[in-house]
Amino acid sequence: MNVIEIENLSKTFRGKRRALVQALQSMSLTIDQGETFGFLGPNGAGKSTTIKIIMGLIRPTTGIARLMGMDASHSAARAKVGFLPENPAFYDFLTAEEYLRFVARIFGLSGKALNQQLERVLSLLDLQEARRRPIRGYSKGMVQRLGLAQALIHDPEVLILDEPMSGLDPVGRALVKQVLLELRSQGKTIFFSTHITSDVEVICDRVGVIVKGKMQAIERVEDVLLRQTSGYDIHVCHPRTGLHKTVFSEAKTLPEIIVSSRDEGFEVIKLEPRRQNLESFFLDIVKSNHE
Amino acid sequence: MWQVFRANLKGIFRDRVFLGILVAATIFPLIPSVSSLSMRQVTELSITLSFSLLTFILLLLAIFLGGTSLWKDIERRYTFSIAGLPLTRGQYLLGKFAAIAVFLLLVSLVLGLLLLMTVYVTSILHPPIRPVVWGNLVLAVLFHCLKYILLVSFTFLFSTVSTSFFLPIFGTIAVFFVGTASQQVFDFLQSPSGQKLPVLLQQIATGLYYIVPNFTAFDLNVNAIYALDVPLNGIGLTLLYFIVYLVIILSCASFLFARRELN
Ligand SMILES: Nc1ncnc2c1ncn2[C@@H]1O[C@H](COP(=O)(O)OP(=O)(O)OP(=O)(O)O)[C@@H](O)[C@H]1O
Ligand SMILES: [Mg+2]
Repeated sequence: MNVIEIENLSKTFRGKRRALVQALQSMSLTIDQGETFGFLGPNGAGKSTTIKIIMGLIRPTTGIARLMGMDASHSAARAKVGFLPENPAFYDFLTAEEYLRFVARIFGLSGKALNQQLERVLSLLDLQEARRRPIRGYSKGMVQRLGLAQALIHDPEVLILDEPMSGLDPVGRALVKQVLLELRSQGKTIFFSTHITSDVEVICDRVGVIVKGKMQAIERVEDVLLRQTSGYDIHVCHPRTGLHKTVFSEAKTLPEIIVSSRDEGFEVIKLEPRRQNLESFFLDIVKSNHE
Repeated sequence: MWQVFRANLKGIFRDRVFLGILVAATIFPLIPSVSSLSMRQVTELSITLSFSLLTFILLLLAIFLGGTSLWKDIERRYTFSIAGLPLTRGQYLLGKFAAIAVFLLLVSLVLGLLLLMTVYVTSILHPPIRPVVWGNLVLAVLFHCLKYILLVSFTFLFSTVSTSFFLPIFGTIAVFFVGTASQQVFDFLQSPSGQKLPVLLQQIATGLYYIVPNFTAFDLNVNAIYALDVPLNGIGLTLLYFIVYLVIILSCASFLFARRELN
């Protein structure tokens, strides 16, 4: 089953003084079950707009958005979906524990199962200490982690996350990355938007790049990375003189260069693939759109 | 819906502003002594004053709780996190409405008890000519409460189409005044001098009379003050009117909220 299906989606906002903002232009996208999809794009590209349409918060101007095979406006479509909005805000007069219980009950959890899930997500996202404090007093990163906790509390099949890493410190980022990898290995479907290309590299099966409301490329991450490997850095050292050297080689010439360095009396100490990573792939697309 | 109701009710109880409004209830104990300054009809006066205080508090609560409830969710972007749950917009809206309605009922219960105690104290000190009919007082409090619950539904209706709190608050205040005066205006229009007004004005006033709720019907103060019999079929009709009106307004609000873009 296709978890997310977007066909020919367009969204035009009517701004102040009747100015029209075309946030999305005939976008199409299909996300399969079990897939991890990274949604990359510069600021204002239309990532959040797409996600809001998928979650039924706003309606498309034209085109269709389906979630779990249902029209995105159906509340039942969200029953097995965990959603983290961009810069989330939660009823701040409640404590984390109360809020998580509130969300869990809406997803139909109760009793022992609810308590188990509550403990699980609280410790998973390191919120145990703050659990009985009102959300009003939380830092940005704590609210973000609570956002992930409430998205995970019903152990959903599908996760839709708008910038899950935003506002987190390096420890939090590493934690969330770990959580996402774990979910991926459990076969969950993950769709998330981000600005951080390296996260997509590590976590995602596929990547989509959106610029100015248009989907510019949808590719397998693996393919992009393979294509982008331009060569290797060979670090060598001369045992007697102690002379250090780094030589660059393309993939084709790699064996010859290693052999010839040996002949000159050098030892190879490190071999590094020089990747033009996903970042350059992303930047190239953005640049070509500016021209 | 039940969960939204619970969470929002908690929110109201934890909101200092609304508890602050309730502090106005501490005026109740002053009423007996203030009323006794008038030499005649002391108990009648204390009933009038008590009802004024009760309805004033309920009016403030209804307008500010109702007017800011949905608006605050939208303004603080709680809507993203809640509308992303498997709830229909209707359930979301009704849950919030129910929280305020139940809160007003609870407040009416507490204030109603204070009112009864106040009137009781006065009636002991200054026995009225006609004995107080306690059932009338209770009914009057109940119907005031229903009136303000109906008013809250208007704040919700306005909130679903508005981006600020301006329309919900001031629109509802307008509805309240028109709804309170509409019966008198209507009666006036039926009178000979009313018939002399321009036809267009008459039509507008008559139109408003039918669109805006008639709050006069909910006002049983006179029955309570002068211990007059409450016509049962009259309040039965008012109750029916309340239910039908509420269902219509809330249905419209749910319909509009379902179409609302939550940005
Ligand atoms: N309610 C709105 N009214 C008018 N324009 C809007 C509205 N919401 C979004 N836009 C416009 O639509 C475009 C896409 O916005 P969107 O929030 O989807 O971008 P984004 O890709 O999520 O950006 P970011 O990375 O900064 O979060 C922007 O040009 C934005 O100004
Ligand atoms: Mg965004």
